[in-house]
Amino acid sequence: MPPQLNKSLIVVALLGVLAAGCSAASTTHAPATHSTVPASSPAATPKTQPAPSTQPPAPPAAPPTSSAPPPPPPSSNAIPQGNGGDHDADNNGGPSDGDGNI
Amino acid sequence: MATSSRAAIGFIAAVLVAVLAGCGMAAASHQVSDRPAGTVAPVRGTTAVPPVRGLAVRPAPAGWRRAALPGDQAVLAYPPSMHLVSGDPGTVSAAQLSSSGAYLMYLNATPRQGTESLRNWPAFRLRHLLDDDASAARLLAQSRGVSFAGGTGSCIVDAYVTKIHRHHYTELACYVQGRTSASVIIAAAPTAGRATLPRALTRAVGAYQTR
Repeated sequence: MPPQLNKSLIVVALLGVLAAGCSAASTTHAPATHSTVPASSPAATPKTQPAPSTQPPAPPAAPPTSSAPPPPPPSSNAIPQGNGGDHDADNNGGPSDGDGNI
Repeated sequence: MATSSRAAIGFIAAVLVAVLAGCGMAAASHQVSDRPAGTVAPVRGTTAVPPVRGLAVRPAPAGWRRAALPGDQAVLAYPPSMHLVSGDPGTVSAAQLSSSGAYLMYLNATPRQGTESLRNWPAFRLRHLLDDDASAARLLAQSRGVSFAGGTGSCIVDAYVTKIHRHHYTELACYVQGRTSASVIIAAAPTAGRATLPRALTRAVGAYQTR
């Protein structure tokens, strides 16, 4: 095998490792997610509405393994929407209040 | 053959540099500033920072109304265009609604309820938004050491999308530590094109009094 080809293979391997590391690092910043979708309507109405399925899409599929990975555990403080939680406006599409736990 | 191999190596090296640069930019876009005091500072990599000029401590304008938290822990001032609306027990909320009942401006004062603090407020608030109401939340600016009447605060400006109806709001959210109590003040309005807040809301935050 020509020496140049060996070098190419080494560089390609290094590239793969760095790309994987970069991808993993970017997922550690989950709290600040981005949304560039313009507002579809100006504001919420303070009315009770059923909960739509607006959860963010599932993360990209992991490499094939012998068994499917278990789903991520739910948040320890996930508030049910659709007049859930403390039944106030922010559980119905209104602005979020300043409560610290519900 | 040797020439083509060198060209291939050069190409791969260029791709490697581009990947590293992209990785660095992605990391930078999530950085948050940690300024000790002063006006709310924009997060590096963001552009649409709403105006927060009204954050300076100033008494509420004449004609504004006031509502106190239980025990007079804090006093929320709100303009006459807003009126008190129902909220969690022990909290105070005021809103201006459209003719169809949609929120145009929203203020809320809530006594400290959880583990929020001056130090952890930015992360706490974003995490709570995502746990509670929002499918997405984006930090736009933050500041610590913000002066309030009777105390000091940690503030963020963020934009979020509600899980219900996917409404877009921009909020100025401050955790305010007084001498004997701590509370949270929220000022929010629909995000219209770019993240901005009505001046009346930032003025209301600047007039927030704690003890």
